[in-house]
Amino acid sequence: MSDLDRAIEQLRQCRPIPELQVREICFKAREILIEEANVQIVDAPVTICGDIHGQFHDLMELFRVGGDCPDTNYLFMGDFVDRGFYSLESFLLLLCLKVRYPDRITLIRGNHESRQITTVYGFYDECIRKYGSANVWRYCCDVFDYLALGALVIGAGSSVQPTRSADGEDTETKVREAEDEVEIEVIGLGGVVTRQMSRRDAGMINSTNLTPSALPHLSSSGPAGALLTGVPGTGASGNSRGTANANTPANTGGAVLCVHGGLSPLIDSVDKIRLLDRKQEVPHDGAMCDLLWSDPEEIDGWGLSPRGAGFLFGADIVKQFNHLNNLTLIARAHQLVMEGFKEMFDSSIVTVWSAPNYCYRCGNVAAILELGEDNSNAVLRSGGEEVLFNRENTRRLASTYMGGSMKRGGPGRRYRVFEAAAQDSRGMPSKKPMPYYFL
Amino acid sequence: MAIPTRFATPSMAAGASSAEKDRTVQQTDMDALVSRCSAIQTGYLTDPYAEMFLDISALRDRRYPLINRGTYIRTTALDQVVERFLSRPSQGKKQIVSLGAGSDTRFFRLAADKSLQLLYHEFDFPQVTTRKITAIQRHKELAAIITESGKADSLGNDTSTPGYQVDIRTGSLRSPCYYIHPIDLRTLKPGTPLPTGIDPTLPTLFISECCLIYLSPNEADDIFRWITGSFGQASESTSNGVGIVLYEPIGGDDSFGRVMIKNLSQRGIVLRTLQRYSTLERQKERMRALGFTTGMGACDVNFIHDEWIDSKEKERIDKLELLDEREEWVLLAKHYCIAWGWVERHAASSQADGLTFQNWSQFPLQQS
Repeated sequence: MSDLDRAIEQLRQCRPIPELQVREICFKAREILIEEANVQIVDAPVTICGDIHGQFHDLMELFRVGGDCPDTNYLFMGDFVDRGFYSLESFLLLLCLKVRYPDRITLIRGNHESRQITTVYGFYDECIRKYGSANVWRYCCDVFDYLALGALVIGAGSSVQPTRSADGEDTETKVREAEDEVEIEVIGLGGVVTRQMSRRDAGMINSTNLTPSALPHLSSSGPAGALLTGVPGTGASGNSRGTANANTPANTGGAVLCVHGGLSPLIDSVDKIRLLDRKQEVPHDGAMCDLLWSDPEEIDGWGLSPRGAGFLFGADIVKQFNHLNNLTLIARAHQLVMEGFKEMFDSSIVTVWSAPNYCYRCGNVAAILELGEDNSNAVLRSGGEEVLFNRENTRRLASTYMGGSMKRGGPGRRYRVFEAAAQDSRGMPSKKPMPYYFL
Repeated sequence: MAIPTRFATPSMAAGASSAEKDRTVQQTDMDALVSRCSAIQTGYLTDPYAEMFLDISALRDRRYPLINRGTYIRTTALDQVVERFLSRPSQGKKQIVSLGAGSDTRFFRLAADKSLQLLYHEFDFPQVTTRKITAIQRHKELAAIITESGKADSLGNDTSTPGYQVDIRTGSLRSPCYYIHPIDLRTLKPGTPLPTGIDPTLPTLFISECCLIYLSPNEADDIFRWITGSFGQASESTSNGVGIVLYEPIGGDDSFGRVMIKNLSQRGIVLRTLQRYSTLERQKERMRALGFTTGMGACDVNFIHDEWIDSKEKERIDKLELLDEREEWVLLAKHYCIAWGWVERHAASSQADGLTFQNWSQFPLQQS
């Protein structure tokens, strides 16, 4: 067993590793990250995750639900640290996995991967508490500066792959028509799938609108009627600079842009993101700041963000950006959503939130998003019938979701929804700290 | 370097004795004080006195931005309610009674306005009042404020005597304008005589800032009845109405609320009236049913943040810290409320616009 594997084992048990080893791993991680593009190209299938915020035991729950790394290809959209009690262990585990399996896990930067924010929101204090000095915090911050700003998922199919049962084996599957490739899976404690549904099952959409021919294939209807043939996200100009996958055939599903926050008024193409000099502390304003701080909102055009950084952007902005860049979906994190995920603007953008019971206080569920591979025109789905779901939260969740209505578009998606790890699995000390309330 | 923890310290397990339970409730005051100091230090609030009540050994903890913001809104909203009570009619003496006042500094902040004619009372457990009085004796500035404001009230008194008397054994302080009463609030029931110094003929405002929520619903209701039974009786010449303003948690029925109840109970803190008064509607009905029948209102803290704070001030606090916790803020802020109610009858000899609490009907109201 290598030192790295041993470090991974130790971190999986939520035990910090020695300072010297942190330094070494951060150094190696930087060497890997420095080679990555601002917008890292990731091949589907991939499992996309939102904010983690130091909730280590919930991160373990996420791996139980989504499969282990490297078996599952992961993309984490930032905000690994701050707020939770175990930012250090959570971030270092993800970083070790990155060093160990660089092609099976992609880490992009969140607004909390910043010197300034971590001194306010807890990661700095945690490092001091656990190591007695700020060295480890400094090593980590140096890594933050090298994290990619976004990722482009290509090759995502219009269908999702068979689901796995809790023990990781494929369950019996059956073929369904390729009509509604959004699956929502509600996962109770212990990883048991307690509820699974598709949109059609939920009666949310008119299936006549959902035949494959009716799907918006942006690649064949580009701006001014031009046929886009380039790699999605490159503006189809034939300029494949910075992408290792220039030979990938034009993909009917388009690409999925993953970014922590959202869009920027200074960025009208994915190529413009590629031009940024990212190797620095997150600035207070400008394009790089916006990508990490902005939020979609029900407005027209752009608006000021109440967060004090980044912008608000409306449906028109997203739709135009997706159209011009041959994207079918923007996946982002950054905002707590009580149901774990939230699609907006006719499913042109989704918020994925992966920290259940955020800050041990909010009572929300979490989700991860699985994008399948584009190698199948049939949807395979677990044969498991609707299992009773006995958790109050998940019942509420399911009914909330079924009550909604969305128009579908973009790649096949499976959301796996999960709850916070059980208290006893946290192994917290008996004098455990508590989230703050007004008293 | 003091390491901030950002998280409240747990204190007790289930099965604690009643003395331990009381102590836990008393400790909520220190918790609130540390938050207040954090909000002051970050520039949300101006209050030179709060620090003086902080134990030397206390952790000077910097809170998260959303907690600072919540502390700011809570204080500012209560300030607005108090200010409207004091400002009208402009003449005449007023009385404020702060229930479970703890280390609150409102008296000292108000007393800076020398023109104010104010009689201020605080009720709390003797353990808490003793600590407060000790802090007052330790800080000349605090003692001077009491003495000064007392002078204005009792003209011609011998200025060489201290402006207040302290009985440190019982934990009480009295001056012409400021009283600290060592009182267990659970002893206040209809018919309980008024504590020394309280003047039932003055227009009076009661304040409960996260206090009555820790009592049993019946105990809390009894205090309301004690108030409305003892005050608010119009006389020939004055319309000495009585009002109450509460700041407390609401909404225990959703997932956030359930987590809140569970987390706090692990610290030994039980929000005992939460279930009975869990909505704005129920808070208003509480006012009506327990005798504050002239007018009543309730808003959640999120609404107050959006509607009670003027845009210039909001701009100022937005600049103090990045608030990354926007969704969490809305969630948290919707689980706290300000509720108020009053009863006031026309004095036989005065006009309707002379009513003290009339101003209270002008707060922006939340549609529930």
